[in-house]
Order: sequence, then C-alpha cells, then structure tokens
Amino acid sequence: MPITLNRALKSIATALAILTILAYVGYLVIYVSYAVDLFRWPFDYDQGEGFELYDAILFSQGEWPYRDSAAFPFYASNYPPLFHLLIVPLLPIFGPRLIAGRLLSFAATLVTSGTIAFVVRRNIAGPERDWMGAWFIPLISGLGYLASNYVYQIGPLCRMHMTLVMFETLAIAFVAEFEDPDHGTRNLILALAMLFCAGYTKQTAVFTVAAALSYVFLRDVKRALLAGTALALAAGALFWLINVGTQGEWWVNIIQANVNEFDYRQTLFLFGQWLRLHTLFVLLGAGYLVYELFWDRLSAYSLWFFFALGVGALSGKWGAGFGYFTTAVAAACLTSGLALGKLRSGDWMSKMEDWGPGFKRGSVRIFVSAIIPVLYLLQAPRMLHLPTSGPVFGPMSRILSVDDQLAYGKGENLAPTHCDSVSYHDAMGYTQLGHPLSPEDHVAGEKIMDYVRATEGPIFSEEAMFSILADKPVVTNPTQLLNLYNNGLLDTSEIIHHIDQQTFDLVIFRAQFYPPPVLEAIGQNYQPVDHVCMNGFTYHLLWPRRRLDSALLSPE
Amino acid sequence: MITKRQLGFFVVAVSVVGILGIVSVDILGAGNWSGFGPLQRMGIGLGLGAALVGFVLIRLGDRPA
Repeated sequence: MPITLNRALKSIATALAILTILAYVGYLVIYVSYAVDLFRWPFDYDQGEGFELYDAILFSQGEWPYRDSAAFPFYASNYPPLFHLLIVPLLPIFGPRLIAGRLLSFAATLVTSGTIAFVVRRNIAGPERDWMGAWFIPLISGLGYLASNYVYQIGPLCRMHMTLVMFETLAIAFVAEFEDPDHGTRNLILALAMLFCAGYTKQTAVFTVAAALSYVFLRDVKRALLAGTALALAAGALFWLINVGTQGEWWVNIIQANVNEFDYRQTLFLFGQWLRLHTLFVLLGAGYLVYELFWDRLSAYSLWFFFALGVGALSGKWGAGFGYFTTAVAAACLTSGLALGKLRSGDWMSKMEDWGPGFKRGSVRIFVSAIIPVLYLLQAPRMLHLPTSGPVFGPMSRILSVDDQLAYGKGENLAPTHCDSVSYHDAMGYTQLGHPLSPEDHVAGEKIMDYVRATEGPIFSEEAMFSILADKPVVTNPTQLLNLYNNGLLDTSEIIHHIDQQTFDLVIFRAQFYPPPVLEAIGQNYQPVDHVCMNGFTYHLLWPRRRLDSALLSPE
Repeated sequence: MITKRQLGFFVVAVSVVGILGIVSVDILGAGNWSGFGPLQRMGIGLGLGAALVGFVLIRLGDRPA
C-alpha cells in the first residue's frame, strides 16, 4: 500500500476517532446535565427512591427496615442493606434528602465506567502503547457504559442498581487477576469482598458470584472450592444474624416476597430492546465469548458477560425491568473493548501478508484503526437520548429531527397513563425515566406538599418523599405490600381497619400499586379532592369522607 | 485446571438434565399451558443449542478451558 494512502488512512482514522470521542463525550454531558437536574429535585422521580432513602434513615436511627408489614406503619424493605448503609454517612451532610443516594449512585456509575476503561487498557494496550489501544478503545468502552440508555436513566437515581454493578465490575476486575504471581491471593480476597458487597446490595449479584467462582474453578479447582466455601460461610453467617435480629422478617421480605409472577414475553421484549440499543457492544461481547470458548481460554470477563444474561432472563418478573440488564451492559462494554483489542493485535494480520505484497501488517492495522471508530459511530445513534428543550439540547434535537418524538408522546398521541408530555427523546421509545424536570413540576410538587403540611397525623402516600419532607413517618411500601399479598404473606386486617377508621388525613396515589383489598377500602372511605400533574404523572389526592362530610355540613 | 473436554461433558450433562426437567414438567402437570408451552419450547431449544456447544467442546480435547 503506498505511503500516501497510509497517511490518508491515518488522517481519516484520526478524524473519525475525534468524531467518536465528541459523540460519546456528548452523551456524558447529557448524563451529567440529567444528574444535576435530579440532584435539585426533592421528590421521588422513580417511585422506589424515597423508600430506599427511608431505609437509610431507619439504619441511621439504629432500626431495621425488615419489619412486619401487617402492623403499623405497614412498611418493610425488600432489598439488602449495603446501599442504604452507604447512604448513612451522607445523611449528616445532606440531611434526609434524596441527593445523598443520588450522588452515591452517580459516583458508582463513574467508578464502573473508569474500571471498564482501566481493565480494557490493561488488557489491550500493547508494548508500543499506540493511541488506539492505550486510550481510545478503553475510553470509548468506559464512556459507552455511561452512554447506555439504561445506565443514563437509572444512574443518578437513589436506587441500588448502579452500586451493585460497581461492586460486580470491581469483583470481576480483581478475580481476573487472581493468578497474578505477586498479588494473586490479595486479588482473590478483594474479589470475594466485592462479591460479598454486591450480594448485600442486591440479590441478583448471585449471577456475578457464579461467573467469578466459575472462572476460578476453570483454572484452579481447589482455590475455587476454598473461595466459594469462604464466601458462602461469610454471607450465610451474616444472613443468619440479620434474620435472627429481625425475627425472621429478613427472610420473608428479601426472599419469600421476591417470588413474583413471571412473564416471559417481558423478558423477550427486554432482550430484544437491549440488543437493539447496544448492538455493537453485545455482538462484539458475544463474539469474544465464542472466540474464547472455542479458540482460546475463557476469561473472567467473557464468563461475566455470559452469566449476566442470566440476570436479564429474570427481567420478566413482576417489578423487574430494564434495570436487570445494567450488569449485562457493563459486561458488554468491557468485553467489546477486549474484542476490538484482539481484532487489532490478532495473528490474522500477519497471515494477510501472505496474500500479496499489498498487504502489510502496518497497513492492515491502520485500516482496522479506521474501521473501529466507524463501528463506534454507527453504535452511537442507536442509543440516542437527549432532552428536546433548552438552549443547547433544543436546537440539537431539531437538527437530529427528534424534537417531536417524545418519550410520552404528545397531543393526541400522549400515552394514556400520562397527563402531560415531557421534553425528552429516547431511542427506547416510551420510558418513564430520563426526562428533565420543568419549573411546573417543582410548582406541582409544592402544591402537593401544601396538602401534606396541612395534615396533622401520618399520611398514606404511595411515595415516601412527601412524608419525609414533612417530617412525618413513612406509612406503607406499596410494591412490597403487593409482593407480600401476592405470595399470601400479608394479613391486611390492621391496615384496612386503619383505613376504615379514616386514620390518615390524606391519601396520595400515583400508580395504585397496593393490594386490591387495600385499594377497595380506600375507595370506600376516601374521596378525591384534587388531581395534580407532576413529572408527567397524575397524583390523586384523597381526603377522608368524614372530613368532606363535615365540610359539607359546616356553615362555612 | 479444567479442560475443554471436561467443560464439554459438563455442558452436555447440564443440557440433558435441563431438557429432561422441562419435559417432566408436563408429566408432573405443572405450568400454565396444556401440552408444550412457549417457555418449554424455548428451554428445549436452548438446551439443544447448549448440548451442541458441549459436543464441540468435547472434541477440542485437553486444551485448557
């Protein structure tokens, strides 16, 4: 290949790489903008956020969140404690506000992204340390994780998912180096510690535990058995202690209540969506797995990618969703970077020299270097998501012709479950997360808080933040009540007695995820007084009928 | 250290047990559908695919897995 053509290819590769970096840094800017917007939002953005914060508040007061949901305040958590315990030190700084958990979760995504980039660089940067292997592919692998629609949407929420993925990624990074001649044992112990943390952040970590231990087992059966036994003993002992400390409510709420109805169609839909949004990362990750399975040794990263699909398979469970694919996204971003590194350094380039004098290893390498940014650039628009209003994102969405394709639809095409459209486009199509909050949303939140502050006693709210912001006790965790009810584990007599007595001065509904008998009792004893549109959802405010009756009888 | 062959035998064994389990669900009368349901069909398909992978791995011999 003539030198001039090589130079031209090099220039093209550099230009394409710069374009790629701009695209993925653009996603990072969108992510940070969304996160900052959420840090200023005091109410629940996703329904479970306030409950996760409340778990942290309970821990800070020395109380367990694993309780008997049949007794007042009818509250119990269905998640392990670590994420909430990590929030506790932030409460004196931020107070009992969601920003504590949101910052933690956001920071966890940055750590995961950095770890992906570090691992890819460590594995593919050859001795020559060229820019493509030393920083371009690692950088885009890390940024690709943050550019994922799923990571973007859940990343800055006060939810435990992203902290889980951080521990999982760190665990895999450590276990991959367990045969290191100098620090092998240290790395294995750190991996086990990270797996322990992941398991006590969310139950789905069990798949990453399986991946890590399988990797050790393939290479060193004895150490795998020892490591597995140590982890099982440590995790089991703590499990038993918590169960004793909570009089068995830990087992009921963490394990028994999580056996939910499974809809395989939801799983298939989410697998399809995951593949459609992250096509390049998934195909490269899958290709790398097949390559290692048949032509090389299985790495911890490929095994993790494989086992992460198992978490995705659980996404058809009631209450599950695309968040179950965040581990698979991290694994795909990591293994895709390794696959591209392998593509650049493979022996196949040397073999091409045999094809003729035109095929020089250096020339082929430059050609591949130009192809890699093209692949990343083809992937970028598949994950497209951005706000469609504002001085920067408004014009950008118009240039990209997505300013009319809003997540909730608009006008006659507005999704029937919503009261207003949101200024946000996502390649996912309909999604309840990811959009920016408007000034009207803040006003609507304050309007609901006026109702809350006007009450004296506890309120019955489907979202915890209204109670927490008014310094009231959190009453009920609706989805957990429904989980327990569906599994025949909830006695609703006391809660229905309270509703019949109209103990609560205010009921706030959003999705009405309560057990049917509870909803029925509320329907009989409470009456709507206002409907507030906030964050695209209608919040139904209900007063006790006795209050409305007395208001009607009153001369005023 | 586990070899490709050993891993292959393991994968085939898991596949066979899985397929037998899926078929026996009908014998035990569990599940929401009469006859073979869609989840069972998918399970059988995955099981057969995994068994095929296992057989290929067996043929790869004593190379490290």
